[in-house]
Amino acid sequence: MIAVALPSPGVLLAGAVTAAAVSLWLLLPRGRDSRPARWLGGLLGAAALAGFVLTGRRLGGLGEEAVFLIVSLVAVISGAATIVSRSPVYSAIWFALALAGVSGVLLVLGAQFLGVATIVVYAGAILVMFLFVLMLAQPAGLAPYDRVSNEPLLSAIAGATLLGLLTLSIGRLSADPSCCQMPSKAAAMAAGTAGTSVDAAHAGDAIDAAIATDPLAADQVARLGGELFGRHLLAVEAAGVLLLVALVGSIAVVSRHGDPSGELAPARRAAS
Amino acid sequence: MTDYLPSLPTIVALVKIGLLIGGLMTAAAYLVLVERWMAAWVQDRKGPNRVGIPLTKVRLFGLGQPLADGLKIILKEDFTPKHVDKVLYTAAPLVILAASLAIFAAIPFGSSLPPIPALGLAGEEPLLVAPGLDVGVLWVFALSSIAVYGVLLGGWASNNKYGFLGGLRSSAQLVAYEIPLGLGLLGVVLAAGSLKLDTIMNAQASTGVWYAFAQPLGFIVFLVAAFAEAARLPFDLPEAEQELVGGYHTEYSGIKLLLFLVAEFLHMVTAAFLIVIMFLGGWHLWGVTGSGPVETWTVALLRFAVLSAKILGVILFFMLVRWSWPRFRFDQLMNLAWKVMLPLGLVNLVTVAAIEEFRPQLVAAVGEGAAKTAAIAIPWVVFFVGWIAAGMLTPSGTDNTPIRTHGPLDIEHELVEV
Repeated sequence: MIAVALPSPGVLLAGAVTAAAVSLWLLLPRGRDSRPARWLGGLLGAAALAGFVLTGRRLGGLGEEAVFLIVSLVAVISGAATIVSRSPVYSAIWFALALAGVSGVLLVLGAQFLGVATIVVYAGAILVMFLFVLMLAQPAGLAPYDRVSNEPLLSAIAGATLLGLLTLSIGRLSADPSCCQMPSKAAAMAAGTAGTSVDAAHAGDAIDAAIATDPLAADQVARLGGELFGRHLLAVEAAGVLLLVALVGSIAVVSRHGDPSGELAPARRAAS
Repeated sequence: MTDYLPSLPTIVALVKIGLLIGGLMTAAAYLVLVERWMAAWVQDRKGPNRVGIPLTKVRLFGLGQPLADGLKIILKEDFTPKHVDKVLYTAAPLVILAASLAIFAAIPFGSSLPPIPALGLAGEEPLLVAPGLDVGVLWVFALSSIAVYGVLLGGWASNNKYGFLGGLRSSAQLVAYEIPLGLGLLGVVLAAGSLKLDTIMNAQASTGVWYAFAQPLGFIVFLVAAFAEAARLPFDLPEAEQELVGGYHTEYSGIKLLLFLVAEFLHMVTAAFLIVIMFLGGWHLWGVTGSGPVETWTVALLRFAVLSAKILGVILFFMLVRWSWPRFRFDQLMNLAWKVMLPLGLVNLVTVAAIEEFRPQLVAAVGEGAAKTAAIAIPWVVFFVGWIAAGMLTPSGTDNTPIRTHGPLDIEHELVEV
């Protein structure tokens, strides 16, 4: 019903990309602020968001799930707010909210472990460290060039273009019926129990796929762990060693600059 | 018409959420009373014993006190100072309370109910809001790290030196103690083979060996880290009254202060739940509750009662510790986390991993019973060795000797420089 009144997806997407670019350009922090420009930017941003959502609908890549729509909107809006906020502390808070949105998207898609790990690692540890540092450096003490965005025009255009291309390609992919068809659990179960005519291994694969997409499958974490420490063992170990080397290296760099009477005295005292 | 009615699982989940939140809020109110009684008992006073039934002379041992406390703090003026960042100042208490309540979605508050055919519940109904969540322990971890934001933002938004210092201290403390907390928890997850808290309880019930006995070192590490994460004395540096007035909630009053205080209490209740569920066997008690599926209401209620009694016991322990230990200094706090608890946690993890890895060989070599005994004895040996080693290698600063930052010559040198 909506489809009759709307222009074609291509025109819609072009409009959304343009609106997003202009709105980002208006919203990004620059030296002087004008309130009408920010209002206009906000309105254009909302229009661009609606344009992207409608394009996704038209291309068939966006389902009807209300929860998915809500969490992804939270992620996108707070992501934009992260870069347009004037205060670094607010930027960090918006970033935390964006992470919560991403985690919600992952949970809706059935990746429980990734969803919760996003919160634990990013929001719980890394961002708290960010806030720690930001709060120590009072916003008033920041240099002006730290509080404006460099090249607002170019970055707005680049970001909006990237967003448009991604929407287009993902929308095309998911509109193609031969790709990314997730079998529903009921269908998989039916295939698994259909009887002797169905190839048993194929039915097993279908059930595996159904478990992988079911948000509440019983052994999500066990399967992920088996995958990580089975097929990708070498990569996991290499990443672990890399992190350890980085940790040792950073400590070495810090302690080499440490002068006995310098700032590092408390740390050395605690270590002795 | 029936399409508009919520489905049975939804209704069951809503009932569980209602029971849990109502129960937790009431429990928090009465635990404040218990804490005041405990304080009075330790300090040889009478404590709150006057408020009973309103408008009568019935005192009832002071059981009306929580109601009076709540009314008083709710009716107080909700004052917002002029110099605060209004948005974050308001958001901080909401964030911390919402996070500490949402934690309980993954925490079981009993075993399970027997089938109730009259209501259409064919199977056993687990006493857990989100039974399908496969990452229960991580969920608890994630939301307790979100609660840090409440403290940090409350401290920063207050635009007050004491509040700010409290926020900084607490963020450093909570981030540091998350590591020993995680290590203590990993040992249990490794032994039980699951991140689900009800599976962890079932694993302890089926073997009859609580993880506190099988992993004493992990238990100690987790207990200490849980105290620090709940910011209870001796780890209450974020709001040390003698140094920081009220810490991160110095500028708060009225209902917002109440939200902070309730969230703090809920952190302690969460810690007690986790300690009992992961290390003290959950609802299991030898010879009383059995360990199989729940068939009768008697068993279901008995298990609920055992779990609640254990949790109350741990909470009383928390309160007793509060009045028995002086507060740590900040460097002692950090030394304890990084130089004592972190290595001990790693030792525990390696021990548990080795035992779990070689258990089949052990059973094959010495038989079932002897292997079970060995699997308990070896961690205890490691516990004593680790404890003594930590005691002998204690980094300076975890004891109470004053820090000598400068030798006499250094001071002279600095004086000359100045």
